Amino acid sequence: MDLNLNRADYLQVGVTAQKTMKLLPASRPRATQKVVIGDQDGVVMCFGVKKGEAVTVFKTLPGQKIARLELGGVLNTPQEKIFIAAGSEIRGFTKRGKQFLSFETNLTESIKAMHISGSDLFLSASYIYNHYCDCKDQHYYLSGDKINDIICLPVERVSRITPVLACQDRVLRVLQGSDLMYEVEVPGPPTVLALHNGNGGDSGEDLLFGTSDGKLGLIQITTSSPIQKWEIRNEKKRGGILCVDSFDIVSDGVKDLLVGRDDGMVEVYSFDNTNEPVLRFDQALSESVTSIQGGCIGTDGYDEIVVSTYSGWVTGLTTEPVHKESGPGEELKINQEMQNKISSLRSELEHLQYKVLQEREKYQQSSQSSKAKSAVPSFSVNDKFILNKDDASYSLILEVQTAIDNVLIQSDVPIDLLDVDKNSAVVSFSSCDSESNDNFLLATYRCQANTTRLELKIRSIEGQYGTLQAYVTPRIQPKTCQVCQYQIKPLSLHQRTHFIDHGRPMNTLTLTGQFSFAEVHSWVVFCLPEVPEKPPAEECVTFYFQNTFLDTQLESTYRKGEGVFKSDNISTISILKDVLSKEATKRKINLNIAYEINEVSVKHTLKLIHPKLEYQLLLAKKVQLIDALKELQVHEGNTNFLIPEYRCILEEADHLQEEYKKQPAHLERLYGMITDLFIDKFKFKGTNVKTKVPLLLEILDSYDQNALIAFFDAA
Amino acid sequence: MLLPVFTLKLRHKIIPRMVAIGRYDGTHPCLAAATQADKVFIHNPHTRSQHFSASRVIQSPLESDVSLLNINQAVSCLTAGVLNPQLGYDALLVGTQTNLLAYDVYNNSDLFYREVADGANAVVLGTLGDISSPLAIIGGNCALQGFDHEGNDLFWTVTGDNVHSLALCDFDGDGKKELLVGSEDFDIRVFKEDEIVAEMTETEIITSLCPMYGNRFGYALSNGTVGVYDKMARYWRIKSKNHAMSIHAFDLNSDGVPELITGWSNGKVDARSDRTGEVIFKDNFSSAIAGVVEGDYRMDGHIQLICCSVDGEIRGYLPGTAEMRGNLMDTSVEQDLIRELSQKKQNLLLELRNYEENTKAESSSPLSEADGHRGIIPANTKLHTALSVNLGSETQAAHAELCISTSNDTIIRAVLIFAEGIFIGESHVVHPSIHNVSNSICIPITPPKDVPVDLHLKTFVGYRSSTQFHVFELTRQLPRFSMYALTSPDSASEPLSYVNFVIAERAQRVVIWLNQNFLLPEDTNIQNAPFQVCFTSLRNGGQLYIKIKPSGEITVNTDDIDLAGDIIQSMASFFAIEDLQVEADFPAYFEELRKVLIKVDEYHSVHQKLSADMADNSNLIRSLLVRAEDARLMRDMKTMKNRYMELYDLNKDLLNGYKIRCNNHTELLGNLKAVNQAIQRAGRLRVGKPKNQVISACRDAIRSNNINTLFRIMRVGTASS
Repeated sequence: MDLNLNRADYLQVGVTAQKTMKLLPASRPRATQKVVIGDQDGVVMCFGVKKGEAVTVFKTLPGQKIARLELGGVLNTPQEKIFIAAGSEIRGFTKRGKQFLSFETNLTESIKAMHISGSDLFLSASYIYNHYCDCKDQHYYLSGDKINDIICLPVERVSRITPVLACQDRVLRVLQGSDLMYEVEVPGPPTVLALHNGNGGDSGEDLLFGTSDGKLGLIQITTSSPIQKWEIRNEKKRGGILCVDSFDIVSDGVKDLLVGRDDGMVEVYSFDNTNEPVLRFDQALSESVTSIQGGCIGTDGYDEIVVSTYSGWVTGLTTEPVHKESGPGEELKINQEMQNKISSLRSELEHLQYKVLQEREKYQQSSQSSKAKSAVPSFSVNDKFILNKDDASYSLILEVQTAIDNVLIQSDVPIDLLDVDKNSAVVSFSSCDSESNDNFLLATYRCQANTTRLELKIRSIEGQYGTLQAYVTPRIQPKTCQVCQYQIKPLSLHQRTHFIDHGRPMNTLTLTGQFSFAEVHSWVVFCLPEVPEKPPAEECVTFYFQNTFLDTQLESTYRKGEGVFKSDNISTISILKDVLSKEATKRKINLNIAYEINEVSVKHTLKLIHPKLEYQLLLAKKVQLIDALKELQVHEGNTNFLIPEYRCILEEADHLQEEYKKQPAHLERLYGMITDLFIDKFKFKGTNVKTKVPLLLEILDSYDQNALIAFFDAA
Repeated sequence: MLLPVFTLKLRHKIIPRMVAIGRYDGTHPCLAAATQADKVFIHNPHTRSQHFSASRVIQSPLESDVSLLNINQAVSCLTAGVLNPQLGYDALLVGTQTNLLAYDVYNNSDLFYREVADGANAVVLGTLGDISSPLAIIGGNCALQGFDHEGNDLFWTVTGDNVHSLALCDFDGDGKKELLVGSEDFDIRVFKEDEIVAEMTETEIITSLCPMYGNRFGYALSNGTVGVYDKMARYWRIKSKNHAMSIHAFDLNSDGVPELITGWSNGKVDARSDRTGEVIFKDNFSSAIAGVVEGDYRMDGHIQLICCSVDGEIRGYLPGTAEMRGNLMDTSVEQDLIRELSQKKQNLLLELRNYEENTKAESSSPLSEADGHRGIIPANTKLHTALSVNLGSETQAAHAELCISTSNDTIIRAVLIFAEGIFIGESHVVHPSIHNVSNSICIPITPPKDVPVDLHLKTFVGYRSSTQFHVFELTRQLPRFSMYALTSPDSASEPLSYVNFVIAERAQRVVIWLNQNFLLPEDTNIQNAPFQVCFTSLRNGGQLYIKIKPSGEITVNTDDIDLAGDIIQSMASFFAIEDLQVEADFPAYFEELRKVLIKVDEYHSVHQKLSADMADNSNLIRSLLVRAEDARLMRDMKTMKNRYMELYDLNKDLLNGYKIRCNNHTELLGNLKAVNQAIQRAGRLRVGKPKNQVISACRDAIRSNNINTLFRIMRVGTASS
């Protein structure tokens, strides 16, 4: 059965954060429900929909940014009390809009995530988790990395309190009281948690998670250990997951999984007989989907998916057909409603326009006076700068609540900007005089009308570090632009991991000297991505990293006065050595750097590169042949005379070309890394081999693994 | 929602832009397109049983209803249509870099096969002006040629640069077609037969042109721009990061007015309203679009829009029916309207909030450092801009300079200049490092061509520590001759070349023209006629003298013939001169041209000699092959081996000969281009009728190979003394 959903926009509020919209429970099955939504102006709004028009039930006054909105109530009764988290305060409203609770938590940071279960309140700020019962402090935990979301397994079903934290360092931390029970590693930084089927599945322990790199998974959190159920990889390279919900939109008796992503994708997954999820429906909206829930709000009896987007749109994807087949009169009525809506909007606009004109004039006049100031409030930019594991490149995503006019990208390190299909903006590269002005990249993106979201792809080179700046100018008067800065770290292609292979031959770099724990931590933060800015509470910490491009690894262990870095890739050690000594000199800290080079590691790294290189070379060769072979095919009419290898290329032509297009300059990058490896190997020996690089490139051109290893040994 | 009425997947690639539909047998429309391996395929789904059974056309081994036509040379343009009205069916025209083939598919015979020295980059078929018979007009290297069905050369003229696109359109509404020519020098020229009636300068190479209706036409540029012109005025245009592969006019929503259909390099097809450029329909292919054509491909009396992708996918669309009310897309118009209005409302509310916050901030404390961080600046901050000429230094070449400064202690963080045609991309960014930011910035600008350009500036103003900046937007015009600096006259260096003409204008008006078109220092004071001004080019240091006598006689001395042409054209448009006869002399340039003409002759004779050699060699090959095979039959292996060795050597010689021929040909093309350009330049020195006279007279002189007459025409403007 095909799922056919029609889009209906209900209304727009201010900019919304993740998980800030909920549907109040219906009074009877399949009756229309009310929507509550909280925005970043601090307004909580509750509305119902009558004849396609939004009718406000209540609306609060503006206040602090609302970070979360949840529903609660006495267990086993309809959950219809509204709780919001704004700043460090929790407020509660009844469904009529009467405030019954205002609880100042005294947290030093503002609340990022919230979960409510009966009289239990679970909160988290950036690193701190707190559990309150009846507004009394119960438990406390300090996480090693940022907490993105929090949930508690259903108390009424598992009869114990098991809070789970989704942490930026790719783990789910399962707690018991104030203590960590165990950690579960997930394939990406988790951004959202939800109970499977809304109640934790059959066991009550089934937990859904979504990651910022677009993966979804189901894990059973038992008392002793986690059980992985399934995982959906992000094959289509869609955006990160911001919200999930379970609702039977297909109406087959099994709850479906509704997913909202930060690239505006709304997806519906159904479950097959083996309880594996299958994609049933997807639709692209133009901006981040911040909340999603299934329910019925437009018309009695028609289920729909209600989503809220970053700029505050509440939109329904309804099963109600657009054109009812009940006769011509009905359609006319619908049109009439539409016309009314349009004309009321029009008159409202006219009024506003007049007001804006007046204000504009006033603003112009103020520019005559010498004392007046021109202050334009900042607009919020929703940005994300993440490393993609698949092609070892960074994605920069910028989203603004109004249309973007242009974006200027400036970088003081050499980076490549790659083309993204989704991005329709016209890019123009400007020449830059790098020496005097520290510019290695200057590019403007002129956006098409109504673009609120811009996605860029950036390829960095390890060892070259600096800052990338984006100047975002939206299409709004008075014109202003905002600067967003992103660090390109020296080991930019590394990613945090939790397990490494200890059997590999390792090179070691040891730092000793008069430095504090905070100092050495700040160096690690400076060099490597995905390390929490806050120094961990322990005295000695160990972080593991993996190079996303070469799969080499790095282990860093440090404490006050000592830091040990181990990697099987000599180039990684070399970069660390250069950066650390530079940083230490800058701060005038006396640093002893000792290193221990393992000759075998070079061979090992080359062997690690070998299959990748061979694959790329073969791919390039095959792709080169495709056109010629196709010509032969046209000429001769059949391919029977070709050797099987060539016939195989012809058959796979489309796939090969796609693969080739996906990884532009992959071969060049590999060559670059082998060259670095070569130079670094001898740098540690104190010899400069730059003159031999052309010879190395020659060998690479006619690649053979043994010849390459021999060259490395001989030189 | 408009869905394709048919979809075909052919297993042949299609080369972009080389697609045409014709009724080659008079009834059945067939699709012809250039494909790989220098072939043209003809897809004929209507008559499955009968095939073209002839030597030139072969049956495609991949597909039953596709026939292949061997061209043996890279196809550079292709079209189909009625060339001979008596024949009653369409001819297929295939152009390559050296030849034009008019082919009768039905009878499998050549209508004509003509060698075209200037190549055929584009072809269009139809009637032009008063010429009665349909012409196949090809555009090559700076030249345009039109052939009738017998291959007679009925039309020949030159244009400014290599032709990339052609279209026939009733530009001036007189009921007769004019020829639109888009060329490599970014110009769209309109030819009323061989007279240029209009010239529009675009910002990139014009890759496609198509007539819309009336005097409107669509165009596409190589930088991803498509748009519509109404006569000489640009109606609308849009720019995309993708490239427009093919454009076509088709009435898809049945409103009686054709829309501009564009096929893009990313596989998108969109239909845009000819009035607003608004998208009324779009569809996606999996690979780049190769061509957009129309025809009654299902033979049911309805014309379909047919889009082809480079991978051979073909989709046909019927125009929307009346019930759809022009609503071809998935979404409902009302929903979109509501969304748009709400968005507008939200924007206005935001703006209002901006002003509110602003007044709040104003009433608070005076300006402090923290305010600077939040992007608060004094309200009376103003931006000054000044354009001047910088003569350069040892490290930097001379350039025109744009200086921007603020009126107080606020700094300029970055400047974005959006301008067309003078930068590599569409924009230029100046972003000083944080140590070098100040309240003024000087930006060197070196426009590569002498064209007036609008500079759209976006200046980010704030304080050193700001994370939010105010954007000042303003537009300045860069004058046409900004790359020429006023210098003091020095008679010794006065260029020998000159143009001389008389205009009926007061000297003051000429001064105004100078002020508008050159960057003169502010204190320049030009006295009354007679006077002279002297400029130095910042590009090559060449001198330019402009002298005006009280009688209105103007002499321009410069060695650069293009510059002289630009000055005359600029003056003509400023003073609204319709016809202007000019006396000109460019001894150095003419000498060069003379050499080129001699070279052209040489290359022609070498070409003939090489062709003769090749013919000799092919005879030799034949005899050697026969003798070698004879030897084999006689089992005289030694002789056979020798013969094959000779054959091998001969083959090598042939290959070498081919290389020489290729080089010779490219040289020849280059020189022919220079000759064509010379004629064009000589034309540009005149305005109106004299201009056309010069071009046609020069052409005749070249035809009759009379070099001295050619130079006289270039000098005085007419052939008769």
